[in-house]
Amino acid sequence: MATGAQVSVRRVPRTSWRRVLADSFAMFDPRREVRNPMMFVVWVLFLYLVVLTLFPRAFPDLARFYSPSYYLGVTVILFLTLWFAHISEAIAEAQGRAQADTLREIRSGIRARQLLPDGTTRWVPADVLRIGDTVVIEAGEPVPIDGDIVQGAALIDESMMTGESAAVMRESGGDKTSVLGGARVVQGSIRMRVSAVRGESFLDRLIRLVEGQAREPTPNELALGVFLAALTIALFTVVVTFLYLANFTDIIAVDLATIVALFVCLMPTTIGALLPAIGISGINRVARSNVIAKSGKAVEAAGDLDTLILDKTGTITVGNRLAVQFVAAPDVAMDTVVEAAMLSSTLDDTPEGKSIVRLAARRATPIRRLEPGSFKVLPFTAERRMSGIALGDGTEFYKGSIQAIETYGAAVPGPLRASAADASRQGMTPLALSVGKRVVGLVFLKDVVKPGIRDRIRELRTMGIRTVMCTGDNRLTAAAIATESGVDDFIAEAKPETKLVVIEKEKAEGRLVAMTGDGTNDAPALARADVGLAMNNGTSAAKEAGNMVDLDNDPTKLIEVVSIGKQLLITRGALTTFSITNDVAKYFAIIPAIFVAAGAVALPGVAALNVLDLTNPQLAVLSTLLFNALIIPVLIPLALAGVPFRPRPAIDLLRRNLVYYGLGGLVSAFVGIKLLYLLLAYLSGLSWVQGLGIAVAHFLPLGGL
Amino acid sequence: MAALIDLQSLWDVVLIVALVIAIAPWFGAYLGRVYLNRPVFGDAILAPLEQAAYRLIGTSPRRAMRPREYMFALLLVNGGVFLFLYVYFFFQAALPLDATHVPGMSWDLALQSAASFTTNTDFTHFVNESQISMGSEVLAWQLAMFLSAATGLSVAAAMIRGFVRKDGTVGNFYVDMVRSVTRILLPLSIVFALVLVLMGVPETFKNYVIAYPITGGTQTIYLGPVASFQSLSLLGTNGGGWYSANAASPLANPTAISNLFLVGVMMLIPFSTPFAFAQIIRRRAEAWPFVGTIVIIVAVALGLFIAYQAIANPALASVAGLGGSANGYPVGQETRFSLPEASLFQVISVYSNVGANNMAIGSISPIAQMVLLFGMFTQSTPGGAGTGFATLLLFAVLAIFIAGLMVGRTPEYLGKKIETSHVKWAALALLIHPAIVLIPFSVGVLWGDPGIVGASSTTVGASAHTFTAVLYELTSEASNNGSALVAGSFNDTTPFWNVTGAVVMLVGRFVPIWAMLQVGGLFAGQSEKPPGPGTLRTASTTFTIYLTMILVIISALLFLPVLALGPLAQVL
Repeated sequence: MATGAQVSVRRVPRTSWRRVLADSFAMFDPRREVRNPMMFVVWVLFLYLVVLTLFPRAFPDLARFYSPSYYLGVTVILFLTLWFAHISEAIAEAQGRAQADTLREIRSGIRARQLLPDGTTRWVPADVLRIGDTVVIEAGEPVPIDGDIVQGAALIDESMMTGESAAVMRESGGDKTSVLGGARVVQGSIRMRVSAVRGESFLDRLIRLVEGQAREPTPNELALGVFLAALTIALFTVVVTFLYLANFTDIIAVDLATIVALFVCLMPTTIGALLPAIGISGINRVARSNVIAKSGKAVEAAGDLDTLILDKTGTITVGNRLAVQFVAAPDVAMDTVVEAAMLSSTLDDTPEGKSIVRLAARRATPIRRLEPGSFKVLPFTAERRMSGIALGDGTEFYKGSIQAIETYGAAVPGPLRASAADASRQGMTPLALSVGKRVVGLVFLKDVVKPGIRDRIRELRTMGIRTVMCTGDNRLTAAAIATESGVDDFIAEAKPETKLVVIEKEKAEGRLVAMTGDGTNDAPALARADVGLAMNNGTSAAKEAGNMVDLDNDPTKLIEVVSIGKQLLITRGALTTFSITNDVAKYFAIIPAIFVAAGAVALPGVAALNVLDLTNPQLAVLSTLLFNALIIPVLIPLALAGVPFRPRPAIDLLRRNLVYYGLGGLVSAFVGIKLLYLLLAYLSGLSWVQGLGIAVAHFLPLGGL
Repeated sequence: MAALIDLQSLWDVVLIVALVIAIAPWFGAYLGRVYLNRPVFGDAILAPLEQAAYRLIGTSPRRAMRPREYMFALLLVNGGVFLFLYVYFFFQAALPLDATHVPGMSWDLALQSAASFTTNTDFTHFVNESQISMGSEVLAWQLAMFLSAATGLSVAAAMIRGFVRKDGTVGNFYVDMVRSVTRILLPLSIVFALVLVLMGVPETFKNYVIAYPITGGTQTIYLGPVASFQSLSLLGTNGGGWYSANAASPLANPTAISNLFLVGVMMLIPFSTPFAFAQIIRRRAEAWPFVGTIVIIVAVALGLFIAYQAIANPALASVAGLGGSANGYPVGQETRFSLPEASLFQVISVYSNVGANNMAIGSISPIAQMVLLFGMFTQSTPGGAGTGFATLLLFAVLAIFIAGLMVGRTPEYLGKKIETSHVKWAALALLIHPAIVLIPFSVGVLWGDPGIVGASSTTVGASAHTFTAVLYELTSEASNNGSALVAGSFNDTTPFWNVTGAVVMLVGRFVPIWAMLQVGGLFAGQSEKPPGPGTLRTASTTFTIYLTMILVIISALLFLPVLALGPLAQVL
């Protein structure tokens, strides 16, 4: 890496407004516009109105109430409607692109040292590497591409992708062999077999996804599109026939600009304009939480999950065992035991050691003072498998597994042996404590549930997601942890293939299942699960099999992804509802205006519709159309950030969202249209605005008054 | 106003509605058992007959059909009925039971009539007494009344089965048809006919009697098997009347008691179908959101109808000769019935897609006309036999789709996912409705058919009234309702309106049916997902209110502009 600066996907990159602006105009290109059918309809109507505004005399039957300012107003607002829609999409794309740029920076110009068959190496551009090639990477060099370590071990800095500053250990053999292109070797030297070709690596996939190239409409998005299209076609029929039907009666005659305005207002343009932005920003949010989703479909599936299969170790428990209880040998005082535990662990920096010190410190046991230089630390070694301390007087304090202590030569008394066996059955790990060659007691270590996991599991239950804990522990241990963490179900004594069995069973019952995994033997289950979140430090096989990869190696991230998936759907649903209830208010503004414009003011039935008391019909139409356009930029932040989501039962969510977005849509449209009407009425009364209007009408070759 | 609404008739209204809703769960459960082919009352006699019928047709209850095959069988039977009716009406002069020597129908009138009866619409463009023979009525029209009602019920049964099947099949059309007739329509129409006879409705093959009124001269009183005709017509939500005046005729609807009884007959099947649904899907509570929605909408409609018929119109108070009108809108209302009872009949008739009239709708208040129009826009509160509930299910599919998005889950109903195809078919069925009303209307305007062009008068009220009449007619045809707003200024018997009407009725019937079967088939092909706490609970008050709102908004959204041109512009 040329740049030493920390870059991370997690950071929200700055949006280039100049680019957004340029893109928003570029999207007026019909080839681009046609991708969003609803906006394409508005685009066609906009062009139609441009023609009508310039040549009203060519359409005497249609442009009945032609006035340059009115027609120009409608045309300009239609333009704004399109432009605002483009801006929302352009911002979402820009955010994605900025993330992609950051990622691209990482891999640009990387060269690799390829290992040739004769054992020599040569420098090649990373682009020419093929799957199966072997490269040599020394300390300080970047990893050219995704691969698996075949020889050696190294500390790898993956902060460019994950933002996590601590380097991670990777070595050949086992489950921690995979390295990501873009990372950097900090220490050590490795030989790595390339597992992806350029353009196919995770980095490339992420780039394509956030840039929107690989974004395909998700099933729900398609269904919503069909609904909106059907509604648009029906409204088109209503409005076009209204033109003929109104002219059939002698009550009113209808003006074309008004009809176009009515149609655009009634079309669900709000949701139509924001739909692409909602989809893109959903992917962006996933990427920002450091998860690489291989498709938008996977993200949406996450919102639908019924069952999460969670590993006990690392997901539900912290993974380190902590001291919970001391046991004294039959003829030994408890104080002796505590002192032995304290002394043997004082200088032990492992989480287990620290937890023993913490537990011991809770007792008011007098502890020998350790004078500097008066003792010697006996660190944990692979041969001894114990750790402890030797005091100046030669007394050695050790703690270690019962087996290790016995190997060391200290005999474990029968009662202690019995209680150790008991503790093991309950899922705890007993350690023996020795003073000299005499075993004085035991300390029990236990798996501890992660702080906060209980709440998250409760949240999941509120969302309707069942959690199943998978562990290799025996039933008793598993049950204890399950109760403590609040999971709905658990599977004890699980073998690697158990997960696959569980997934098959859940799927057979019609549920959507997710799991996390990192090992090669997790791969089949990851592939079978509806959402398989692989850990980045797992094997390539696991990452290939899953449909998401978490760069932070945090299995609880699955919960975050579920929320993002749900938020994505809720945002679409909420804005659709908003769009539809808006329509009700728009009707009450435009329909009376049509009658008033035609001079049919005296009809009390129709006048009763004019609840907003909009007396100037042209301003009424303009203010409604303007509201319809302005609501798009107002809702852009909501579309990009997603509707605020907190886990609740489904019926509560429905009730809340109906009130917020249903009722909100109704009220905001009534209020908004009235305010815009008052504003337009005020402006049209100002002399300089009138002057400007005349000037514009004069400057543009607009049709005669 | 007070004079028009008496407390006793309000009690009658509440009583009869409450009575039917009390019977509905029980009768609905019976309907459900009929369509589940479970043992029901009467098997000892009817089962062998049905077996014989199946052998004759060459089918068996064990042979399940997919939607395509079901639709094919449905079109075969309905096509046969249509052809038979057309031929019969065209040649009715040469066919039996024609004592009054009615001439054959013109090609376009026969077309309109055949389409109208096949589609359960029963919108008539002829004068019953002089343009249709007794043979046509008894042999042809009544046959269509049985088979069109049975078709509607079968479609609903097939669609509902989708929720409890996993193999993509929706049932056997022939079996459904046979059981609809033998277990529901035939026995009940016989019983109800006897009750009507008891109430004084004629039941005879005598064509007419000559009466000699005290005012001098003679009067021809047309007779026939009125009681059986009337009972089948209302039970099967057909709505055709023996007399042109339909249920306003004292011979078809002699007393206030018979009026209430007929209301009950009309309500029976439509109000029970949600319970049949609950029975088939084995979840009792799921009937209530639909019943709730129907009751809310019908109650509001009835309230508005009665209120706007009772409120005096200040604009008319000062007009000489319209003194009576100062006291509400009693013009056109049959005076034998009180306002609430007459209104109940009219609203239930239109909302249940029966379409029988007991008042002259052309003369009632514009707001009341709008209330009736709204019932035809929704076509599902409760709507006609079977198809009404199936339409309501389609509304529910769309409502649940949007609701599902709002709760952050791929929408699912009763454990079945709602996907793009479901949305596509539901949207097609619901949104084609405004199209087949508004497009033919516009075509008629552009075509310049004399039926309406000559009618467009110079006074504001008259043109709006004509507009309402055309809108009402097309809406009635599109929703297969059959309710008619006869307006003097609109002649719907021209070839243009006969042919247009036939096309609108056929499209309005069979395209939605095709969509209903498709949706049923899609559900039938899906495996059922067990309900979890994250699933939207549909058997809840929130969902009931939500479904009502969606129904009102989607129906009103598309029709408000034309309502403004017609009934709203008429409000003086």
